Amino acid sequence: MAAVQARLAAHSEARALVFLADLSAALAVSLDLRQTLSEAVRRIAEFMDAEAASLFLLTEGEGMLECRVCVGPIDIAGLRIPLGQGVVGRCVAENASQIVADAASDERVDRSNDSDTGFITRSLLCAPLSTANGPIGALEVVNKRSGGTFSAEDAEILRLVAAPTSLAINNARMAHELVQQARMKREFDLARRMQKSLLPKRRRDGFPLLGMNLPAHEISGDFYDYFDLADGRIGFVIGDVSGKGLDAALLMVRAASLLRWVGKEGTPPSEWLARVNEELCQTSLEGRFVCALVGKCDRNGERVEIAAAGFPPALRYKDGEFTEYLSGGAPLGILPGMSFEASRIDLRGASLYCFSDGLTDVRDAERQTIGSEGVRALIQRHAGASAEPRLRGMVTELKHLRLVDDTTLLLVERMQVQGPEVLLKRRFPAQAEQMRDIRNRLRSALDDAGVESALRDQLVLVVDEACCNVIRHAYGPGQSGDIDLRVSRDGAALEFVISDTAPAVDPETIKAKPLGECRSGGLGVALMEQVMDEWSLCGLPCGCGNRLTMRKRIGDRGQVGEIRE
Amino acid sequence: MNNGIEKESSAELTLIRLRGEVDLSWSQQVREAVLDAQKLSRKVGVVLSEVSYIDSSGIAALVEGFQNARTKQGGFALVAVSTSVRSVLELARLDRVLPIVADASAIPDAASVPVWKP
Repeated sequence: MAAVQARLAAHSEARALVFLADLSAALAVSLDLRQTLSEAVRRIAEFMDAEAASLFLLTEGEGMLECRVCVGPIDIAGLRIPLGQGVVGRCVAENASQIVADAASDERVDRSNDSDTGFITRSLLCAPLSTANGPIGALEVVNKRSGGTFSAEDAEILRLVAAPTSLAINNARMAHELVQQARMKREFDLARRMQKSLLPKRRRDGFPLLGMNLPAHEISGDFYDYFDLADGRIGFVIGDVSGKGLDAALLMVRAASLLRWVGKEGTPPSEWLARVNEELCQTSLEGRFVCALVGKCDRNGERVEIAAAGFPPALRYKDGEFTEYLSGGAPLGILPGMSFEASRIDLRGASLYCFSDGLTDVRDAERQTIGSEGVRALIQRHAGASAEPRLRGMVTELKHLRLVDDTTLLLVERMQVQGPEVLLKRRFPAQAEQMRDIRNRLRSALDDAGVESALRDQLVLVVDEACCNVIRHAYGPGQSGDIDLRVSRDGAALEFVISDTAPAVDPETIKAKPLGECRSGGLGVALMEQVMDEWSLCGLPCGCGNRLTMRKRIGDRGQVGEIRE
Repeated sequence: MNNGIEKESSAELTLIRLRGEVDLSWSQQVREAVLDAQKLSRKVGVVLSEVSYIDSSGIAALVEGFQNARTKQGGFALVAVSTSVRSVLELARLDRVLPIVADASAIPDAASVPVWKP
């Protein structure tokens, strides 16, 4: 008899094991959770010999349990039970299985449902579903078909079934979150592209404005804009919306279009800001505000009028000197009825730099903000180059530092209509000790012009060699003088001009020795021939001094568009 | 990186360690350091791993050291050549003329006539 019982027990254990394994496998490979769960609950009911079975899940943040899946004579899907109430509520609240042998007399059972449906609950078994983060719901089976009550063994099996079920639900939730995140990412990308497209196109032919925008995050709260005015002048705007992320970006779009439309009417800068301020104050910005600078300039970039609202001071740079133009009013969108003071700026022979506070907030290697001093130093370091390579150079340098905020810069100055861009212009004493500094300057000027590093190093070497030849041979020992170095770029052609005031050198005496020859001397000229496309040496008209001109075509990277990231 | 010359000498071998940018402003010192070392030791190695730039006057000092070693039947090599020095040697087509070794133990006993390896 005992042997039969043991065999039966072994048989039922094996059956339970097969059931658990099958169910776990089905849940693990589930692609459609709702369908898999329905199937699982049906199989649980069948295996447990129950009249009905259901699965409840906690609703987010409400403390309610909702029936998501059920099988049995009554459809209770959607039924909601407060956490802690009834058998299911208690099971989840206590995170412990509940066995009810006699529902009629058990105070845990909430029988209100039965009276509505005519279903009679006799016995119950309920197991919690939980993950590492705590309970997420419960599995419940109702009424053994064979009569009788659910055993401790049944409770154990339901508890075992609960584990893979919780896992499958958790996996499905995480997968859903990933899909949501991917969708958000796509939408952010779209928003970012949309924002970029709102920035104006780079204009050439001596257009006196050049802008750049480096977003620190996916989308930017900064913007700049420029447009033609009816009187032939140009209106421009640069702005920064407080806050980051989508909300800032949406306000940015609104602020940018308001500023554009009011500006296009030719409104003077102070009134321009006042009107946009009124408009922004009419709707609640929930504590957000807009810092902006607006202005007008003539097409030559010589006469400028600006007004600013809570924007960092604009910097005028002329011959190594800075003049600061402080903001003429508070940020937009805070208080109606504000006024904004305008400044008129004589920009002849000068440049005006307008930038968002992201630029002063850039962190250096020591994680210190570079501040207004850092911005001035940055402008000064690149001042020798013409507008486009200058801004590009500044961007390159900024990218090596840490941007903590969106960084936007708008440059106003008279631009060359055409012709070569000067990348570097330098006069220095013809001394070997000067060359290290010259090499550094040339290296960064060529970087700014986008010359790739291997060619850059060769060009630096050859220019160094040429200068050393001037120092050693043209001036020679005991003679002093200066060297003028000018590096320019015209499209894809780089030109290096090295002039001196030494006695005229006979070009016929400049000979390259064959490369690879193991003899010192003459190597510099050989390297020049090797690296440059062409070179020529001529005496200067005054009869004193020489000019070496070297040219090299670089890969045409096309014309520079908007400087953005 | 500051420019500098360091020497480790024995009768057998002198290692000259150069640092920084070898250019006209101090290549004469490099030249003298190499020639002096060749008076002292039979083998001389010039370590170039920390040289970020070299111009033709620096190359000339190395070429002269190599030629001097050949005359005197001494050993000479460039040791642990940095990428930037190698680029200049390649540009001057001297990378297959001057002996280049990975470490001091590989410096040859006598400078041989270079073998052109295409």
